[in-house]
Amino acid sequence: MNRRDLLRSLATAIALPAISGLPADPSFALGRRAHRRARAGGLQVLDPHQSETVATIADMIIPATDTPGARAAEVHRFIDLLLAEWAPDDDRRQFLEGLADVDARARAASAPDFLTATEAQRAAILTALDAEAQERRKAQRDAPPHFFERMKFLTVYGYCTSEVGASAELHYEVIPGSYDACTELGRWRAAPGDF
Amino acid sequence: MAAPSFDAIVVGSGITGGWAAKELCERGLKTLVLEAGRPIDPARDYVEHVPPWQMKFRGFGDRKALERDQFIQRHCYACNEYSGKFFVNDRENPYTFDSDKPFHWIRGRQVGGKSIMWGRQVYRWSDLDFEANARDGFGVDWPIRYADIAPWYDYVERFIGVSGERLGLPQLPDGQFLPPMALNCAEQVVRDGVAKRFAPERIVTIGRVAILTAPHRGRPACHYCGPCERGCITHSYFNSIGVTLPAARATGRLTLRPYSVVHSVIYDGQRDRAAGVRVIDAQTRQPLEFRARVVFLCASTLESTRILLNSKTTRFPTGLADSSGELGKNLMDHTMGGGARGVIPGMEERTVHGHRPNGIYVPRFRNVKAPHPEFLRGYGFQGGGGRAGWGRAAGQPGFGVELKRALHAEGPWGFSFYGFGECLPRSTNYVELDPVTVDAWGIPALRIHCAWSDNERKLLHDMSVTAAEMLDAAGAKDITPFVDDNPPGLTIHEMGTARMGRDPKTAVLNAHNQCHDVKNLFVTDGACMASSANQNPSITYMALTARAAAYAVDAMKRREL
Repeated sequence: MNRRDLLRSLATAIALPAISGLPADPSFALGRRAHRRARAGGLQVLDPHQSETVATIADMIIPATDTPGARAAEVHRFIDLLLAEWAPDDDRRQFLEGLADVDARARAASAPDFLTATEAQRAAILTALDAEAQERRKAQRDAPPHFFERMKFLTVYGYCTSEVGASAELHYEVIPGSYDACTELGRWRAAPGDF
Repeated sequence: MAAPSFDAIVVGSGITGGWAAKELCERGLKTLVLEAGRPIDPARDYVEHVPPWQMKFRGFGDRKALERDQFIQRHCYACNEYSGKFFVNDRENPYTFDSDKPFHWIRGRQVGGKSIMWGRQVYRWSDLDFEANARDGFGVDWPIRYADIAPWYDYVERFIGVSGERLGLPQLPDGQFLPPMALNCAEQVVRDGVAKRFAPERIVTIGRVAILTAPHRGRPACHYCGPCERGCITHSYFNSIGVTLPAARATGRLTLRPYSVVHSVIYDGQRDRAAGVRVIDAQTRQPLEFRARVVFLCASTLESTRILLNSKTTRFPTGLADSSGELGKNLMDHTMGGGARGVIPGMEERTVHGHRPNGIYVPRFRNVKAPHPEFLRGYGFQGGGGRAGWGRAAGQPGFGVELKRALHAEGPWGFSFYGFGECLPRSTNYVELDPVTVDAWGIPALRIHCAWSDNERKLLHDMSVTAAEMLDAAGAKDITPFVDDNPPGLTIHEMGTARMGRDPKTAVLNAHNQCHDVKNLFVTDGACMASSANQNPSITYMALTARAAAYAVDAMKRREL
């Protein structure tokens, strides 16, 4: 079961002990270095236009409301890191092709590119992409995920695991202190075990 | 220079090594614990409170490093970006298997061993289990019965702290329990629904777990952060680092030597005794020897057997203490992954607070009274209920404010039953030394031959049927039965390969985990198991270890050893 399958299964059921395995090397030093590089603006894969396109789409998927959105959580930098250091070559290529396709759709709607399209045009493009992604998932479960499915997953994941998203939106609490087995809805808080 | 000498050597510092160390030290023996891996400093190495944004890949892990270095370990759910460092490097620790019979050998090499990342579920065995081999003829009869081990279960549970609910079931005896954790809203509904249709046969209870629900022997209660497998700075769940090894150290008789890869047991043919062990220092690669009056192998099921296989002598050409020819044979693991999931309607205004590191348990109900027509032995269910959380959002249609709202744990209540079934002991499931492959220290690797039999497959199928029935009884919707195809090994309940038994001709160990052939050599980890039952085995390993240590010290006092 990979992480995507896991999240799918979570959508209908519950946390069984099964997250696909990961690394031997959670070196904080490394993590901090990557963090500094990201903050310094050092994107590894995305060029400034692509990065801005990713940030804009991400912020449409998870917009700022009474809490910050995906742009404030720097989801685009997390996506750049995964594209650079995690994604297999095919996944990276498909993702970048997907981004190019977003601009192509904007041009088809007579805008220079996605970023300069009107708000309504952008929304229409994402609505169409989302419908296609849902369709592909239903039709071919084993096919590589549609660009927008991947984009949405990375946005949700990147946002919820960011300091901004986890704290402001999920009310991340390191030490709950007790277990209330059946309590009022508003009392839920994300805990370390949710990640 | 003479090899350093001790009263006792314990190989391994995990669940059983920690217990052997504690018991032998407390009973007066100067004890050397040899651990193949590195030392662990909880303050530095435990990462349960590190937030995801401080992890480089936010929990995704370093895919390339994993594929290169942990291509086996990564199959374990707990081998993630946080706790992957507690799992071995597969390139340094190779083993081989038949290409059509994959076996996932999940291993931890550090002080504490797998007790750092273990599942913490603890269930006593009963005579239904200890008599199973005698009843149906698979394997050899256990040389002990529940009455032999019951006081040792008490002893271990009182020390480590186990929370659970008393049920009075003969097939799953109650223990010395701290207060049980609570069932959440959905689990209460399922418990009641199952009781209404299936009581007294099928029962849903909270998991019995080595996690404190009240302060216990100086350790505080659980604070419900959730991911125990990343370590626990408050020592609120049992592992050897926080509980047994400190007790051993407090005696002043413990010497713990990390980076000590045991190569083999030194056999003194004149005295017909183990004289000590040969070690390769993991850092310097220097060969070393240590001597002792008694040796306990607690290196994990397959590592202990590997050490014995690698300790061939002229008298024991197939492996030390193997006059029976049973060493390496009868490998078992629980078959896991038949079950069902469903949605529990209602309770939209209710949720949980805190992350309970425990689930539900359904004690075995097959072949308890009436024999089942299709299969032998039985299974239990783990699992639990909860509301779908932020992961739900990624899979649902739409984007924007609506999707953002779905990030909260406000999805429908779901519930899953996940079965763990007994594996029959069979001589065709066995390990041997690979003729070619060696590990990073030049020690021959294991070649593992293991596959499920029809009986295990039938158990899996039945799990999916009975789980769906119970969800139906609970009024669940969208019930989805499933049968996961998990290879042996992945349950990480590997057992057997140096079985206990009364007859030296058919068993490696006697009723006290003592080698029939070499009286001062004991094996007290999962290698000793003559059958697998369906319960998580660690508490039985601990009880057997404490019992064997008491026996060994008494025998030494009587000058038998």
